[in-house]
Amino acid sequence: MSKGFASNYRVGLLAGLILFGYGALGVRLVWLHVIDRDHVLASVEMVRREVIPEYARRGDIRDINGELLATSVSRVEVWADPRIVRPEDAPKWPELARLLQVPLAQVQKTLTTKYRTVAQAQAGAPANLVLNFDIGKPAEASPPAVDATDPAAADKDNDLDEPDSTGRRPIKYARFKATVSQDVFAQILKLGVRGVRGDSTHRREYPHNEAAAHLIGYVNEMEQPANGIENYANFFLRGQNGWVETEKDGLRHELAQFRTREVPAADGYSIVLSLDSTVQHLAEAELEIIYQKFRPKRAAIIISRPQTGFILALANYPTFDLNHYNEVKPSEMASMQNIAVSNLYEPGSVFKIVAASGVLEDGLVTPDTLFDCNIDKIDYKGKTRPLLHDDAGDHFAGPIPVWKIISKSSNRGAVQLAMRLGDERFYHFVQAFGFSQPTGFPVGGEPGAAALRRNVPEPGTNRWDDLTITRMPAGYSVAVSPLQMHQAMSVIASGGVMLKPQIVKQVKDASGELVYRFDRMEERRAISERTAHTMAHLLQGVASEEGTAPAAAIRANGIDYEVAGKTGTAQKPMPVTLASGKVVVRYSEHDHVGSFVGFFPASDPQVVISVVVDDADEHFMGKTAYGSLVAAPSFHHLGEELIPYLAIRPPSSSANLGRSLLALEGGRR
Amino acid sequence: MSATNNRAFVNQVVIGTLVAIGVSGSVGIGSVWMRHQISVTAEANKAIENRLAEVERQTQQTSTWIAEEEDITALLKRNAEWRLGLAAPQDGQIQRMTEDPVAYHGAKRDRGLLQDRALLPNEAQPVSFRVAMQR
Repeated sequence: MSKGFASNYRVGLLAGLILFGYGALGVRLVWLHVIDRDHVLASVEMVRREVIPEYARRGDIRDINGELLATSVSRVEVWADPRIVRPEDAPKWPELARLLQVPLAQVQKTLTTKYRTVAQAQAGAPANLVLNFDIGKPAEASPPAVDATDPAAADKDNDLDEPDSTGRRPIKYARFKATVSQDVFAQILKLGVRGVRGDSTHRREYPHNEAAAHLIGYVNEMEQPANGIENYANFFLRGQNGWVETEKDGLRHELAQFRTREVPAADGYSIVLSLDSTVQHLAEAELEIIYQKFRPKRAAIIISRPQTGFILALANYPTFDLNHYNEVKPSEMASMQNIAVSNLYEPGSVFKIVAASGVLEDGLVTPDTLFDCNIDKIDYKGKTRPLLHDDAGDHFAGPIPVWKIISKSSNRGAVQLAMRLGDERFYHFVQAFGFSQPTGFPVGGEPGAAALRRNVPEPGTNRWDDLTITRMPAGYSVAVSPLQMHQAMSVIASGGVMLKPQIVKQVKDASGELVYRFDRMEERRAISERTAHTMAHLLQGVASEEGTAPAAAIRANGIDYEVAGKTGTAQKPMPVTLASGKVVVRYSEHDHVGSFVGFFPASDPQVVISVVVDDADEHFMGKTAYGSLVAAPSFHHLGEELIPYLAIRPPSSSANLGRSLLALEGGRR
Repeated sequence: MSATNNRAFVNQVVIGTLVAIGVSGSVGIGSVWMRHQISVTAEANKAIENRLAEVERQTQQTSTWIAEEEDITALLKRNAEWRLGLAAPQDGQIQRMTEDPVAYHGAKRDRGLLQDRALLPNEAQPVSFRVAMQR
């Protein structure tokens, strides 16, 4: 047998080489994996490891019919790195400008401005503004760091670069436009302009623009909810961000096979409101009509379901566009105030429902009990008190019954009703109707309990003087919010129960499954059902030909829809400068808040509507802007529109009869 | 040890080494192939995820567009632009029903059927129809 290749020497050499190779590999592996492990791993971790956040999508806000009121859509923030822009791409810039919808000059300036000049340090200021930046120093005290005209002036990333020897700082991030859609960005990428990049982000959009702006609220640029449902329900809406631990290659592309941990983002829950977009539109359209007709300073409309307390619409004038909240001028910031919830006003005659309900509840009077409303002063608790005049006419033909005190809105009659109750008992009913305490409405910035108590005098305190009992029953010397007054009227419509006003109806998860449902919430019984029905009947007289607001009555196809409500006209307390230069607050003869708060059909209330118009007097050339003139017609108009939309059935004759009988029964007590 | 035995041993070592190299090479290639497949699968998964995200994004975008177009102000504008003359129904145009509309229409249809059958002789027996109720 031939020895062949396998001589002892060669075989030994080959085996030695192989073993040496293996040995060397083993040594190297031990070196890398044991001895130098930490150093190598640190380098790898630093270079390759990456944690990619997965942003949760904020939940939608929908109305009761599923209409989108607020949603999050994917957007791309387009920016440029001017350092790597190629001159040969210049012919593509006009198309880029067209896609971005910005002037070509702006695109040219952004792409060609490769440096920004650092403002020369002020005398004694540190040379390196970045390194010597004092976080604790107020912004206005800091020297200007960049030229404000520079396109990249506001870009934070650029501050990380130190200026060169000439004092210039390279721009590596210059924002073109806040956001564009993904489709537009795809077209931009197709253009192939080097240096133009984009970051995906979610942007909050409000498809209905101004609709229900004060209720929905908005999310600002920092993704922080500012107010409204966006803020109140942020816990449900925001969701939970996720992340992916992975590695990337030298080109910063993710190596998906090296994903070690994935925590998926949990999208936010959706909020379903009790709001009805159509009803909201009707309310806002009505406010527009009010503005066109009367030019008031402010106005508000609230529409709700009396049997559940759920709000169908809540509209304010002035308002703002949720998609352009940041364009509201400082001088117009009042337009962002939810005046229906946060504004306090003296309600005037609408407040008479409290005293009237109180005396009927306590059985002190019947609807036919007579009161002399021609007197101008009255003795009460050993003192003679002056009475307010009556707009309806200071001279009635003799004593008038309680039902006429309501329908004619007699101030003097209302005061005498309250005096029958006495201070303490009257205040009890003021509280029972929800005044002096928050309604608990979750959005709109309702004043706190302390602020509300301050505006509702309490017997036995220094805010309750000798004149309070002659003013408060007629809606003066007391300040309430439109929503509080709306809720007080809802007590009568709901059969005497105070319900919590609610706007959030349901919470649903990202897949649309119901998570939580809000139902009618009873706060307390304010008055008995019998009293509530009697009051509903008496309030029908207001919208009759003999009442103060016949314009509020609704007749369709010859059917009376039994409007029950109350007008309110209150002088506004305004600051007046005396001849001595002293400024005092007095009731103005030229500034009024006119309102109408009511519901229908009185026998089976389906909807409660409040219309409050603040200071429409200028339109009336110095005359009073009565609630019957500025608010009652809007109530009527809204009611007519709501009847077909909400399928409000006309009251049945049997119900009318029952109501009448009930009222008569109450009258016999 | 004899030379023959030495050669036999060396041959065995060489063969064993070659086999070991072959096996380890195969394992290495297999490992690389497996890693490649893992990479391909991971990339495919990522592509599917991206596609799903893209579809979801398109859905959201479309939903937003629909909501914008369904805005009442926008609809009224379209109504005026296209001269459609659409208007909300007035109360007088609405026929109010005190009974269930499905049952009403079912009964109305049944009445027609019964009249047809009434033309036939000796068919006086009452006929009942089941009406599907959906709420």
